[in-house]
Amino acid sequence: MQSKIDVAMMSLIKHEIKIDESFYKVEEIRQLTRETFSLILPKARFAFKAGQHISLGIYGDYQSREYSIYSGIKDDHLEVLVKEVNNGYFTPKLRKLKVGDLVEIHGPFGNFGMEPKATETGKFVFIASGTGIAPFRSIARTYPEIDYALIHGVRYTTEAYDRNEYPGDRYILCSSRDTKGTYHGRLTGYLKNCTFAAETQFYLCGNSDMIFDALEILKEMGFERDQIHCEVYF
Amino acid sequence: MLATGHSKQNHYLNMKYHLITLGCQMNLSDSERVSSVLESMGYMHTEHEEEANLLGMLACSVRQKPIDKVYNKIAQWNRWKNNRNLVTFVSGCILPADKEKFLKSFDLIFQMSELAQLPEMIREYGVVTPAGLKTPQPVMPKNEHISEMWHIKPKYQSTYEAFVPIQNGCDKFCTFCAVPYTRGREVSRPSGEIVEEVRQLVCQGYKSITLLGQNVNSYGLDKNGREINFTELLRQIGEYGKISGEEFWVYFTSPHPQDMNREVIEVIAAYDCLARQIHLPMQSGDEHVLIKMNRRHSMDKYRRIVADIRELIPQATLFTDIIVGFSGEGEAEFQNTLAAMNEFRFNMAYIAMYSPRPGAASFRWENEVAPDDKKDRLHRSSEVLKIHSREYNETLVGKTMRVLINGTDRKTGFSSGLTEGKLIVRLDRRDDSLMGKIVDVKITSAADFSLSGKEAPLNLQASSPTLLHRRREQGNEDSEHFILNRILHVKK
Repeated sequence: MQSKIDVAMMSLIKHEIKIDESFYKVEEIRQLTRETFSLILPKARFAFKAGQHISLGIYGDYQSREYSIYSGIKDDHLEVLVKEVNNGYFTPKLRKLKVGDLVEIHGPFGNFGMEPKATETGKFVFIASGTGIAPFRSIARTYPEIDYALIHGVRYTTEAYDRNEYPGDRYILCSSRDTKGTYHGRLTGYLKNCTFAAETQFYLCGNSDMIFDALEILKEMGFERDQIHCEVYF
Repeated sequence: MLATGHSKQNHYLNMKYHLITLGCQMNLSDSERVSSVLESMGYMHTEHEEEANLLGMLACSVRQKPIDKVYNKIAQWNRWKNNRNLVTFVSGCILPADKEKFLKSFDLIFQMSELAQLPEMIREYGVVTPAGLKTPQPVMPKNEHISEMWHIKPKYQSTYEAFVPIQNGCDKFCTFCAVPYTRGREVSRPSGEIVEEVRQLVCQGYKSITLLGQNVNSYGLDKNGREINFTELLRQIGEYGKISGEEFWVYFTSPHPQDMNREVIEVIAAYDCLARQIHLPMQSGDEHVLIKMNRRHSMDKYRRIVADIRELIPQATLFTDIIVGFSGEGEAEFQNTLAAMNEFRFNMAYIAMYSPRPGAASFRWENEVAPDDKKDRLHRSSEVLKIHSREYNETLVGKTMRVLINGTDRKTGFSSGLTEGKLIVRLDRRDDSLMGKIVDVKITSAADFSLSGKEAPLNLQASSPTLLHRRREQGNEDSEHFILNRILHVKK
């Protein structure tokens, strides 16, 4: 009969093999602003659709949070965009991660995004506040030919993460606290003065207040609720 | 269906187990498989925990209260250990942080996917399980071996009502719920096993079968085309029902409006054995609150589903879940929920006051709704529900309903049961011989949430497909028409 220790060790070994499936080593940390950075991880071991999110945990910690995937589906790495929250529990821990540290990834989750076929002919408006730009970068990198406009609301133009990746005529930066963006003020102020084609599909991602306001503006413009897709950041 | 493969052993003779199951029907279904494993080892069930040698709990993390109960209970059980030999275990929905604490209190802790290994764990008790040994704990439970648990034949707690799990886990991440962190990702059970379990249950005479899952209508989607979807699963069960010639009702819970579609409703409408009762959780009638809940469906979508149900299955009863007092719900938002209740006229709504659930995203938010406001909203929404439920019930007076007798009324001691639409019916007498049978009941009066009636003159056991088909066409026809039509069919 096996000893208790043997049984325990066998179980442990069996499970260590499984750990590899969901644990990823941090390969690089890109500092984008003082508070915002991206974690660059090995290529995803799962197939995902642009716009989907993952559950991100830190090795040794019980908690996890959901993050939209910031990289495109063909990129050779998986990337998430993180803004450190003052006095938060999780993001300060993410901030302390170093290259080589392990994070736990589960996913992909969610249906935010569009079917690949729709990207060939559809018209899209992406509306993001802050790090809510993440799923749209994934979409833009995955479908470079897609017909879109990206309206990005930030406080300062320094928060226009990776703005050079977007064609200038597609990226509208609304900055509320400086005047270096395309529009000075909240993105909802910009949105009110826009006109869009009737068949446009709208994708909203960011904090709930922005989403509520933008949703009402678009509904007042006469767009159907089914044309408006929301992904809230908490 | 595989047996557990563990023969009875003398070692376990006279050993008794007691199992406490907290929470939802999913845990209840899991507990039937736990009982099956324990009894295959020779353990006997006891209702009295004081006389058990093996004490187990299936925990629930939906609210703090059931978790507190686990802590209180294990403290008591550990005190008993001073005087007698006991083995304790815990499984079910457990958050990673609680799992760490439970490891110190319980002898065994395991995930449902490890259930088949429980006998070995018990034999080696004192050795923590693989799940317990893995340090640190995974953020989300691993679910890939859950199919081993599904291979265990459950010990059904009833001879006429059964739960059949079709999936485990949840990918939806509603902000008020911690299930993705306690049960892991959505994993679908093979459809062949599900249909076979339903078939066996029907052959054994089961009348009410509920397909269980956190989001039943996303069934199969995790298999990326290698498994049929929920519509097709229902169709296969419906086809079996058609050829079986038996009368039984198949329910499912819970669907998520996001994945609900017209095809599902069309299939229900097409097959007699698919029950005309739909539980469609709404949670809130306010668009903004739904967004904060991360429900990922709009009220327009919900409205369309209900319209499809009313069009294709007009006799269907509609049940829902509602949370009042969620973060961000002011009076205006609550009014939208009341308006939605008035629009959809639910037969039943399970209305809960919001309470932050550890592990859920909203647990980290400030809940600005005062407890008194929540109570007030619970009361007001319950009053609205009561009106709609009673109005519907009154339309049934004088009609004959098929009723599955499943118990006795606590007040009167008379027999009681459920219609196909899960409306409670109290009979005017007690007849234990009817238990577990579907009988005709003439409805004589209606109350807010129940009906009263008496057994119809002819106790028609609608066992032929012809009769079943006719029953669908007639809907809630009164008994005279029912009998007349039956006679006409017989004459043909």
